Amino acid sequence: MKIQSYRFLQFLNKFIVYFVLTFFALVMIFPFAYMIATSFKIPADTFRYPPRMLPRDPETIVVDGYDEPLPLYYVDVNGAQKEYALAKSNIKVGTYAPADNLTSTFERYLTEVKPTGGATNQQKVEVNGKQEKLFDVEVDGQIIPMILISQTTVGEFIDPQNPENKVYQNVRLSEPVESIGWHPENYTEIVELNNMARALTNTALVTILVVVGQLLTSVVGGYAFARLRFPGRDTVFVFYLGTIMIPFVMLIVPLYQLMVLIGWTDRLAALIIPWIFTAYGTFLMRQHFITFPKEIEEAALLDGASRLQILREILIPASVPALATQATFTFLYAWNSFFWPLVIINVGNEKNHVLTLALNVLRGRASDTPNLILAGAAIAIIPPLIVFILGQRFFVESVASSGVKG
Amino acid sequence: MTAYSHVDPKTNLVLRIHFFWRILFALLAAGGVVYIWGGAADTALWQKILVSIVLTFASIFSVIGAVQISRRNHSGRMISLVLDYLAFVVCFVLALNTGEAFIGIDAFGETFPKGIPYLGITIVGYFLSIMDEYLPQKKKTSENSLKVVGRWVMLAGFVVFLLQVEAINGILYFLGKLAQPMGIISVAGALILGVSIWSMMRDSTSQALHAKTDHEQVINGWLFLSPNLLGFLIFFAGPLILSFYFSFTDSDAFNTPHWIGFANYAKILNVRFAWLSSPDQFAREVVDIKVYDEVGRFLIGNGGILFAAADKFFWLALRNTLTFVLFAVPLSVIPALVLSNVLNSKLPGMKFYRAIYFMPSIAAVVGISLVWQWLYNATVGYINYFITVGIEFWNNLFHLAVVDPKIQWVSDEKTALLSIILIAAWQTMGFNTVLFLAGLQNIPGELYEAATVDGAGAWDKFWSITLPMLAPTTFYVVSTTTIQAMQVFEQVFILMNPPEGPNNSTITLVLYLYRSGFQNFQQGYASAIAWVLFIVIFGLTLIQFQRQRQSSIYES
Repeated sequence: MKIQSYRFLQFLNKFIVYFVLTFFALVMIFPFAYMIATSFKIPADTFRYPPRMLPRDPETIVVDGYDEPLPLYYVDVNGAQKEYALAKSNIKVGTYAPADNLTSTFERYLTEVKPTGGATNQQKVEVNGKQEKLFDVEVDGQIIPMILISQTTVGEFIDPQNPENKVYQNVRLSEPVESIGWHPENYTEIVELNNMARALTNTALVTILVVVGQLLTSVVGGYAFARLRFPGRDTVFVFYLGTIMIPFVMLIVPLYQLMVLIGWTDRLAALIIPWIFTAYGTFLMRQHFITFPKEIEEAALLDGASRLQILREILIPASVPALATQATFTFLYAWNSFFWPLVIINVGNEKNHVLTLALNVLRGRASDTPNLILAGAAIAIIPPLIVFILGQRFFVESVASSGVKG
Repeated sequence: MTAYSHVDPKTNLVLRIHFFWRILFALLAAGGVVYIWGGAADTALWQKILVSIVLTFASIFSVIGAVQISRRNHSGRMISLVLDYLAFVVCFVLALNTGEAFIGIDAFGETFPKGIPYLGITIVGYFLSIMDEYLPQKKKTSENSLKVVGRWVMLAGFVVFLLQVEAINGILYFLGKLAQPMGIISVAGALILGVSIWSMMRDSTSQALHAKTDHEQVINGWLFLSPNLLGFLIFFAGPLILSFYFSFTDSDAFNTPHWIGFANYAKILNVRFAWLSSPDQFAREVVDIKVYDEVGRFLIGNGGILFAAADKFFWLALRNTLTFVLFAVPLSVIPALVLSNVLNSKLPGMKFYRAIYFMPSIAAVVGISLVWQWLYNATVGYINYFITVGIEFWNNLFHLAVVDPKIQWVSDEKTALLSIILIAAWQTMGFNTVLFLAGLQNIPGELYEAATVDGAGAWDKFWSITLPMLAPTTFYVVSTTTIQAMQVFEQVFILMNPPEGPNNSTITLVLYLYRSGFQNFQQGYASAIAWVLFIVIFGLTLIQFQRQRQSSIYES
């Protein structure tokens, strides 16, 4: 009995753990899922309430006698739900009633009802102190003058198999027949509309050069800090450490003026060259190299190897995980950066836009088509996600193992 | 004297040439100073001063180096190497710049798309060539062929890539541009300096100057550090000092800045407090509204205090930023702490969850903000839909009549900042979770075992073991999240239209900095804002550090 309750508690414990974790996982995933699903929708589908996740297409059907395929809707025929095609919309229907008995109403098409006494000299009647126009309404072959109470618009729905069967009902309140339909052409449209292809390749170019450049400078710098003794090394290292905490926004104004001075405003060079020298990356590489056993290196030195050879042939091949981690971090930083490109690249100079800038322009240009905006966002977000999934093992592990220097 | 006799005449000649080269170098540098103050008129004062300081030092050290070389001292070699190396770097960069190598990246961007597939082939080739290390031992026979194939694929891919991006045209263009006085001078300079460095690095020369093995390490050390250090000085340390200077000027990025002392800081900090005799008394009755704008009022009973400032936007921005930090940091850190504790239970699937929580923090803030913009949409957005569904559910369950608020998230002044806070918390939570998890895994398990023996419950263990042991991690997480949150900009810029939000409810310090510096081009003022921001960040970090130290003293 006691064991059973213990088991139950353990089960409950596990259940709660997975419940909490799954809840938060859904919260984390949901915006991504929404982004991807919406990027495949047609515009009308994005403005539907209540919102739905999967993209849908309205279904159409070809009916004899009509040139274009007609949209299908669910309609109520004698209590049964059927799929009918919308043949004609915007048919105006008036609700009419005799002036002396407003409760007995008749519905007629506006086009079928003529004004009593002719259009130029329409007769009127006083109802509740107001003058109302009179219309000739035919009821069972008799013509009775009535007043117009209200007016709606309906559509004519026909049975696709038998076009003679017609049903009239409000189009906006009718539910269209839909099927799941993906629209990948949103992506081609967004690429054409907003120069996204160029922005994507620019971002790739900038990111590749920043990652390669940063790895080069921080590997040799980190090696010098970790392994070579020279006067001034520790002073410089403390200096490097001190600047790690300084926020980037401190630099944005003087760096901009520096770019103006050397003529790099509006240039891709401004997005690359200043970012390949990093104190933080050098610090990380130093922390990594310092864990290497010194003996291997000393042996290689005795054999007459130069420092560069040691670095290239012993240390770097043994540091692939650390390098991959730093490359991934740098990749994300370069790919996602927005503030600096916003400052340095002109809005009009679309040739040199990176993805984040293109998205900023797109935000204004396609503000009424969320499907296109989110397709753009997906183009910017998915490549880093792929890199993350590929490098997940290195990446999360290294944040988990070496990220904390508290 | 003995040293002289050992040196062969050829090396002696080399050293004598070096002596004259150093003198020539000093004369050239001194001539450069004269030219800058005499000839080149249209450069800013600070540039002139900077360049002449550098050149003067180069000149003086070059003379010292010459003297030391003639005395056969090793310091002469060191000075010579440093000066020649720095001058070489300058000539090299000048040559690249004259050949438009930096600006040419734009042209590279034009042709780069065509080359991408071949770059992909190159990368595939690289992976092929390193694949054998990951293959199981049995298949090692095919190792060599795989490596060779991989290398060839890599090479072929890269060559086609170079052809596709029109690298030959680029190089020809570069050489064409280089063939003008500036380019020729810098290439010639680089060649001469290169020869000088090479001759100094030769064994015979270094022996003649009594080099020891330690010296090689010093040279290598500075050489290896130099690319990073030079770039760091030019693109980080230099601008940082420049930023400090600009904050005392009226710089507008294009004209010569004028020194205006503390005027920028004085404007930021120029505030007035005034007593209000009634809650809705006009600001103009208590402060000079030609100078001050009302920022806010704190009501106390029948009266209150009016807070007015010469630059009301700065104070609104400070208020919003601090509010943002006050809510976004706990909202990101506390759930992360909870989640990491749950994840730390050794159940299957934890790595999967960990990866999922990490996802938001790697996505571009700009893209994420666009996604949330539509989630926040007041009529068709999912967030309001979930709220509506939730309220209906509770109303039905308990027969309540709670009214659906239909929140206008981004266009309502009351919720605009909240919507930014939620995005930021959502995006940073996963990263913090992973950091906390790392901290948790460093806590020795014996502590928990001992506590279990003592009969402590899960809750006691959390409060008296986990939290104190996690204090360093918590400090790290809270301070980095705070520093990040103090710089909130991108979410606001993308989500809000206009970015300062309804009734300035989302203007933040960095947004205001951007507006002052890059829309109004008051860059001196923007620099002053940056330094105030830095002081606030520094102060917050210091407070957290003090608290962490105190609490860790108590615990021990």
